[in-house]
Amino acid sequence: MNNKDLQLSRRGFLVKSFSAISVVYVIPNLFTHAEAAKPLDQKVSSSTKWAMAVDVDKCVSGCTACVDACIEENGLYGFDRPETDSQWIRKIKIQDIKTDKVTTLPMMCQHCENPPCCDVCPTGASFRRIDGIVMVNQHTCIGCRYCMMACPFKARSFVHENLTEQLTNAPRGKGCVESCNFCANRIDHGSDTTACEEACQKEGHQAISFGDLSDSESRVNKALRKKDHKRLRADLMLKQRVTYTGF
Amino acid sequence: MCKFINSALIIIITLNPLSSSAHDGEKHVMKGHSKADMLDQCVEPTEMMQKEHFVFLYHQRDETVIDGIRTKQHSLANCIDCHVSYDEIGEPIPVTDDGQFCQACHVKTAVNIDCFTCHATVPRGKPMKSNKSVILEDQVENILISLEETNHE
Amino acid sequence: MKKLIFGKYLIDPKIFWSQFILLGFFIFLGFLSSLYMEHEGHYITGMNNQIVWGMPHMFAVLLIVIASGVLNIASLSSAFNKVPYKPLAPLSALLALAFLVAGLVILVLDLGRPNRLIVAMTTFNFKSIFAWNIFLYSGFALVLIIYIWTMLDREVNSFSKSVGTFAFAWRIILTTGTGSIFGFLVAREAYATAILAPLFIVMSLSYGTSVYYLTLRAINIKFKTYMSDELIENFRSLTIIFLFAHLYFLFLYHITNLYIAKHINFEIFILSSGGFYTFAFWVGQVFIGIILPLIIIFSNKLSIKSSMKLSSILILIGSFAAMYVIIIGGQAYPLTIFPDHIIIESSFYDNVVHNYIPSIYEFILGLGGVALALIIVLIGITNFYILPTSVISKDTVTSDNTDK
Repeated sequence: MNNKDLQLSRRGFLVKSFSAISVVYVIPNLFTHAEAAKPLDQKVSSSTKWAMAVDVDKCVSGCTACVDACIEENGLYGFDRPETDSQWIRKIKIQDIKTDKVTTLPMMCQHCENPPCCDVCPTGASFRRIDGIVMVNQHTCIGCRYCMMACPFKARSFVHENLTEQLTNAPRGKGCVESCNFCANRIDHGSDTTACEEACQKEGHQAISFGDLSDSESRVNKALRKKDHKRLRADLMLKQRVTYTGF
Repeated sequence: MCKFINSALIIIITLNPLSSSAHDGEKHVMKGHSKADMLDQCVEPTEMMQKEHFVFLYHQRDETVIDGIRTKQHSLANCIDCHVSYDEIGEPIPVTDDGQFCQACHVKTAVNIDCFTCHATVPRGKPMKSNKSVILEDQVENILISLEETNHE
Repeated sequence: MKKLIFGKYLIDPKIFWSQFILLGFFIFLGFLSSLYMEHEGHYITGMNNQIVWGMPHMFAVLLIVIASGVLNIASLSSAFNKVPYKPLAPLSALLALAFLVAGLVILVLDLGRPNRLIVAMTTFNFKSIFAWNIFLYSGFALVLIIYIWTMLDREVNSFSKSVGTFAFAWRIILTTGTGSIFGFLVAREAYATAILAPLFIVMSLSYGTSVYYLTLRAINIKFKTYMSDELIENFRSLTIIFLFAHLYFLFLYHITNLYIAKHINFEIFILSSGGFYTFAFWVGQVFIGIILPLIIIFSNKLSIKSSMKLSSILILIGSFAAMYVIIIGGQAYPLTIFPDHIIIESSFYDNVVHNYIPSIYEFILGLGGVALALIIVLIGITNFYILPTSVISKDTVTSDNTDK
């Protein structure tokens, strides 16, 4: 065995393993995480209250970072058939009829505390997780689409065709209804941000703030303290966890 | 002796098929077989798994969807990660293809499975990393990824 | 009190088999198209994320409404003790059963995952009116089977009145449930009102009577059944009452919506600016379905039989238009997510009136369902003593079930 080669490789090994260890141990600790993150084997609890606040003033017209991030995170590829392809989050441009002010905002499942979709679902597949996430249990969804009839926000999509390229972490398939689930899988793995929020922060817009309502220092609580937020269709008294400000 | 252990460690860690998984666009180091081929036993005794794997899966699926429990031991994603075979160039073969792990038995026993209309049949997409409770296996995986990256440079 | 003689549908086997094969062919086509829909996914249909319920639901709801409605005739004889209708009761119950089964089959075959029917039958969310309807529908089928049994078997004949009354109560609840599927949808301007339940009930009465009359007339082409002039006269007055009731509740429904400020935009859409939906409402549901039949019945230009036949056909055409307006029209109008705002742009069609162009597969599935209802009736009347052949005086001692 050539001694020189071995020495080089040993040196290389040390350098590489040090850099690897720093990648694993040091860099993640530079960012602070919410203390709420739960171990993988623990049930979600009602002491966590996931919520999202959208500051419409900061939302930029023409930007679709949140939509793109959602598509990437959940593997929402379509078939170029806009009428039947799924959309978990979409951008809407609205104009105030009194002031003519034009605003754009992201629209997704509003995660109601009194969700009409869960009330009408015959099998209970549409359910509200104890931490406030409204989602579809696609193991018991029979595809009747009654929840889509009931939703006041058109937040849900029906999978109209065969899918083969799903992501391991985002199962979805033909014949079931699906919608935004606040990136439940990601959150259960300890993250405290959704794909759309992350993308919005990365773009520097910071229109979306996500977090735990029971943690007073969470981004969502900070955003809620800063401005007065309102719920869409407040007349329906659905107590959505997604709130808006600025229009 | 120390040198020998070091080089042996590198070989063991880099070539250990258990500590690597497929990622987007990346060819897998394993060719022609699956990780499970290298193991004596699955997550439970083999006989139990043959008879009751679906019980574990059913149990886990409800816990995962309703209660948000994301342990790996009985998760379908983990099953596929371990049992998926790789062809000669390192591409994963869907577990539902003829003669593959799931399909082979299920054709023989004529039991139709509904898992893969929704679930991916090969490991696809970013692996989900736990931010808080980093599992040891994941750490090794991370080291390997970064090692491979620096090697490519 | 007169004694009844019930008979089987005794016709030339050639005619029976040709009818059977014709209906069977449509059922086969319907089944094929549902298989194709399930295999390819719903994108091949006209339904999409905007119009989530389409033609299969129009057929299914219509058939279920009719199923409840045709039981009228039996209810008149049992719950309301109207003796003249007694001979007509078994056919009425059979029709109800057939249309109920057919409607449910369409509904199930249109599900995204019909293979999970067992999930629907075992996992219930009792807050959902849909889950309650599963019980109402399957329970109704059971009640109808028992009712038919009590009418046909002399040993249990004494129970027939009480079972019939029970069936009457059940069908009122059932149609309330069907109407409430829509009535409980608070988010949509077209639906969120309890008036839909009684509206569905009067619609069922009107459509059911027409279907019953037409079926009996169709049977009469090849096989002589009993139907006195007095009965036809009764059918005529029933039809008139139900048409007026339908008109009344329809008026009430729309006038209520006009008064609810939140719903007024939808009302303007349906009543005046909705294009084809407005056309379907005024011409289809109101004119063809209600006004024209009334004109035909009241003007004495046609004989009573042909005026009844014609108006029944028109009522059923109108019924289809009514389903279109209620189910499709209700979804076509975009949701009001932002009051005080106009939606300028959306990738998800939040600001447009949706179009619905049904595909051939959905239509054939619906037709297959109708064929299924008719084939059940055909098999029923050829194998059981269901048709009223004649009425004889009570002094004559004869068996109820004379194979004659």
